[in-house]
Amino acid sequence: MKLLKYSEILARNRELGRMVKGKSYRIALLSNIVVNQLGEILEFELRRRGINAEVLYGDYDNIVQDSIRFKDVDAAVVFYETANLVDSLHASAEAMTTGELAMLAGRVEQEMELVLDNLSEVPLVLFNRFSALLFAPDDLRDGALQRICNRLNAKLNQTVTANQLAVNMDRLLAQVGLPAAADFRQFQSTKALYTIKLLKTYAEHVAPAFLSVTGRMRKVLVLDCDGTLWGGILGEDGDSQIQMNNSTRPGRIFREIQQMLKGLRRHGVLLALCSKNNPEDVDRVFAEHPDMLLRDDDWAAKKINWQDKATNLRQISAELNLGLDSFVFVDDSAFELGLVQDELPNVACVKVPETLSDYPAVMRHLAREFFVLTRTAEDMRKTEMYQQEQARGETKVQFTSLDDYLRSLGLVVRVAWNDEVALDRAAQLSQKTNQFNLTTRRYTEADMVRMLRDNSFAIATFAVEDRYGNYGIAGLSIVCIKADIASMDTFLMSCRVIGRNVERAFFDYLINKLCEMGMVRLEAEYLRTHNNDQVSGFYDALGFQLVFAKEGQRNYNLLLADYQPSGINYIEVKKDVS
Amino acid sequence: MLAERIRKVMGDVLGVDQATISDEATPGNIEQWDSLRHMNLVLALEDEFGIRFRDNQLEQLISFRLIELNLRERLPNENTIEPDAND
Repeated sequence: MKLLKYSEILARNRELGRMVKGKSYRIALLSNIVVNQLGEILEFELRRRGINAEVLYGDYDNIVQDSIRFKDVDAAVVFYETANLVDSLHASAEAMTTGELAMLAGRVEQEMELVLDNLSEVPLVLFNRFSALLFAPDDLRDGALQRICNRLNAKLNQTVTANQLAVNMDRLLAQVGLPAAADFRQFQSTKALYTIKLLKTYAEHVAPAFLSVTGRMRKVLVLDCDGTLWGGILGEDGDSQIQMNNSTRPGRIFREIQQMLKGLRRHGVLLALCSKNNPEDVDRVFAEHPDMLLRDDDWAAKKINWQDKATNLRQISAELNLGLDSFVFVDDSAFELGLVQDELPNVACVKVPETLSDYPAVMRHLAREFFVLTRTAEDMRKTEMYQQEQARGETKVQFTSLDDYLRSLGLVVRVAWNDEVALDRAAQLSQKTNQFNLTTRRYTEADMVRMLRDNSFAIATFAVEDRYGNYGIAGLSIVCIKADIASMDTFLMSCRVIGRNVERAFFDYLINKLCEMGMVRLEAEYLRTHNNDQVSGFYDALGFQLVFAKEGQRNYNLLLADYQPSGINYIEVKKDVS
Repeated sequence: MLAERIRKVMGDVLGVDQATISDEATPGNIEQWDSLRHMNLVLALEDEFGIRFRDNQLEQLISFRLIELNLRERLPNENTIEPDAND
């Protein structure tokens, strides 16, 4: 995307500041150089994606003190600039003795650990890797500044936790080019080092992390076949003529694309097909073509038919139970992309470039759309889980009543109570779940650990399985406990298990557990977002009393003694940990 | 044309209506034109016109007229050519 001019960014950011609603998302900017201009650029980059960002500025060269002051922000960005570790280090480093350099590095390592520890409860921390590129002497050997950076970066990589990212500044400097990245006029006068261009690139580069922690990243990559997955036209050229092996130049490129798609799938991206072709032809390619690297089980959904692609994408969205705003669609036809973009503006449309050799680079750039802060072992199994879901869907039609169908599934709900092992998945669920989510509070693993250690919180997760397979951990409940009153901070469920009444079975368990703990009352609330309408009546259906309601918010109360169990007998609830 | 573009940038950066930016505009008569925003303004002008001012000019461009004069020298063809579209 073309970068806007700085003045346009300032004007639009001001405008967006008035328009974007929702709770303010506070980002602390900590630095030992002047990076004030990044504030509004980053706000703009996030506000235009719907995050009501507000940047708070730390004091100049006060990173350690600021890391204490800004403990309760939503995110922190740290510019710990090598050149200013001590005054003019970039110029003096080569004149320093090995001992002096080691002492300096030791001090900075300690500070860095302290800062990251102070910020350990901040849900997202971006800490820039140390870079010597702008100041390194033109020398074949690594100079003193580079050696210091190497040491500090090794330490940084060891120290960061799952929600602390070490941002690769060298990559950004290379992308912009060194002459265009640094503003030495300002560095000499006001200790501002970076150009507007570098700061714009930085904001764009880090945006996916913010999208991830606020549940806005893409999840599904939909691809056309002819000209997108392979070269040539299957229906005309036939199986043996389509190009996807190393014997031709286009074939080599499509092979690379297929390899990259396998990588994305491994990291939890759902792949889907949407192509105008004869389904049996395409099925044959995935079943037996020796050059095809992807197989039938790599696809979470397939729409191979002659319908228009917007309709097909809508159907994939319904099948996977994922909103179209989490879709990316790749096609080689400007016509098809235009149609989809017109009808489904929320889908990100990407064209296979005319110059085919640029295609792998486009795919590499696309990876950012699917960035997930918390990766789990379940990511790799995601496609498989959606496929099991489709097998279940096929069984569904043969039963006359839903209860009969659900009984046939042999559902098991496995509850884990305050289980540390489940916390990474719990954090991921809180970041990603939009539809069946009563309060949509986003937490990182660090938040979860904190709550687990705090006696006034209880965290319950539940995994769901049935005779077709295991959905993994699919539900989360966080209860806050004060004396004999419990209040539901979070209740959510992955859309993969919606429609099976497992939430009712879990609630039976939960209420019972709260009674055992001596609770008398459970408070709960529904906070509306543009995605969670389907649960607006959830607590009403469970028999909670509505005690307060205003636009977008409903508060409820339940005397535990009044709770009516669901009476569901076809779901077995097991307790793993208590 | 050049004057209009400068006004647009100034209005955007300082957060004031362009129409209120006269040829006599200085930090003295525009309240929002403080030292921090002055730096933003200079950087925004550079970004807009694809140029870089010299070291000592950063602090000197403290009136609409000085900015216009400087840019007219730097960009003699400004009224006839389109700005560089590649940022």
